Amino acid sequence: MSLNTDFMVKVAQTAIQGVPVTLQIVLVALLISLPIGVLFALIRIYRVKGLQRLVQFYVSLVRGTPIIAQILIVYSAFPSLLNMIIGKAAFSINPIYYAYIVFTFNSIATLTEVFRSALQTVDKGQMEAGLMVGMQPRQTFWRIILPQALISALPNIANATLYLIKNSSLAFIMSVKDITAIAKTEAAFNYNFLEAYLVVWVYYLIICYGAEIIFYLFERYFSKYRRPIKNRTGFNWFPFSIKQPKLEQK
Amino acid sequence: MLTIEGLKKSYAGNDILKGISINVNKGDVISIIGPSGSGKTTLLRTITTLEEANGGRITFAGVDNDFQKLNGKEINTIRRNVGFVFQNYNLFNNKTALQNITEGLIVARRVKKNEAENIALKALERVGLTDRKDHYPSQLSGGQQQRVGIARAIALNPEVIFFDEPTSALDPELVGEVLKVMKDLANSGTTMVVVTHQMSFARDVSNRVIFMADGYIVEQGEPRKIFENPSEERTKKFLTDILANV
Repeated sequence: MSLNTDFMVKVAQTAIQGVPVTLQIVLVALLISLPIGVLFALIRIYRVKGLQRLVQFYVSLVRGTPIIAQILIVYSAFPSLLNMIIGKAAFSINPIYYAYIVFTFNSIATLTEVFRSALQTVDKGQMEAGLMVGMQPRQTFWRIILPQALISALPNIANATLYLIKNSSLAFIMSVKDITAIAKTEAAFNYNFLEAYLVVWVYYLIICYGAEIIFYLFERYFSKYRRPIKNRTGFNWFPFSIKQPKLEQK
Repeated sequence: MLTIEGLKKSYAGNDILKGISINVNKGDVISIIGPSGSGKTTLLRTITTLEEANGGRITFAGVDNDFQKLNGKEINTIRRNVGFVFQNYNLFNNKTALQNITEGLIVARRVKKNEAENIALKALERVGLTDRKDHYPSQLSGGQQQRVGIARAIALNPEVIFFDEPTSALDPELVGEVLKVMKDLANSGTTMVVVTHQMSFARDVSNRVIFMADGYIVEQGEPRKIFENPSEERTKKFLTDILANV
């Protein structure tokens, strides 16, 4: 068996047009779901009457169903729903909007739980200290509690983001032209499936690796207050190397 | 200056405080001692409104009301006029030592930033930590953290500062530096109410000692009287037990 390298280069060149689409889906979903996730987490922690049940139900609903089923449902239900409401064919809508909807809904559920656990890790003494220097609970929350919670949530947000990047490849079902969809179409023309999929593989690897670096830098920058000593763990730049990353000396 | 009458508190049917009355005058340094579970910490927390009381009356800083009838404004008034030093420091983890002190000044007291920093630096100087002003709590030792905690309380210039077992989370060799700061404060006329197991502080620094047990004040008076000639059997037993371990 030999790989058709010329074809791989060709697929790589075409599929690169899908990279912005994938990134777009990820960014839109993340930016919308981060604040809503915090809000939902607060509703759950403070047991806001009525809303708490709703959020709980929502989270179970989204987490309890496979993402592919959610995609199929949104993709088949929304066009006819819109058709009913607006009264004209909604099929001309760019399918990427359906992808935004599905992946945003999904991330909200994940991030709600991420923030709930992160907010609960902040010691309740922090709030008491805020009250005892005369600050209002709201002020203490925004200035003391939330910043600490966000930072302890970072590893889990990174995790959720990586899942989101990889799950976004399912958008091809909704005929969104992302990396996977383009490569699949190319492959189908020439029956060089393995080559095309290897290209897809490498693209996602690169994107995820980039996301890991970004989150690592975020964490390093924002968590300086948590470092008791001046040593810091380095980033594992070469995931395949056996050597552990050296500790950087400040 | 601060008067508490008949303060009651219960958790889930257990009575923790069974009617406590205290009177704190300006310049008082009061030590509250007693066996664990006697309600010392709960007493401080209910007076400062960190816990809701189930009965009793407070007269303090213009507020004169039953604990259960306190409205938001009165609670704010009480909180603004007390300082609190926690057993486990409770410094804001995401703020430097200096920011820990300026935070309340800027946010709650609306003091201008550079003015707040001047006040904070003076407070840090009083606890001898000017050189640690840009350190985060995680970069400070327990004793240093607690001194920042004290600086945070004094910077707000409250009527009275409550200390909730300020040295009991510390390694023995760090207790001294915190006690020294507290002694300096007491000598400079700060009104202090201190829950403590440091009998030397209670005996040598405070001007009144309150002995609590089972949610009651069993006995109170001048330290010399309490330590040398206690009138209650409970107090005698507690003191012999605790002094036997020193």
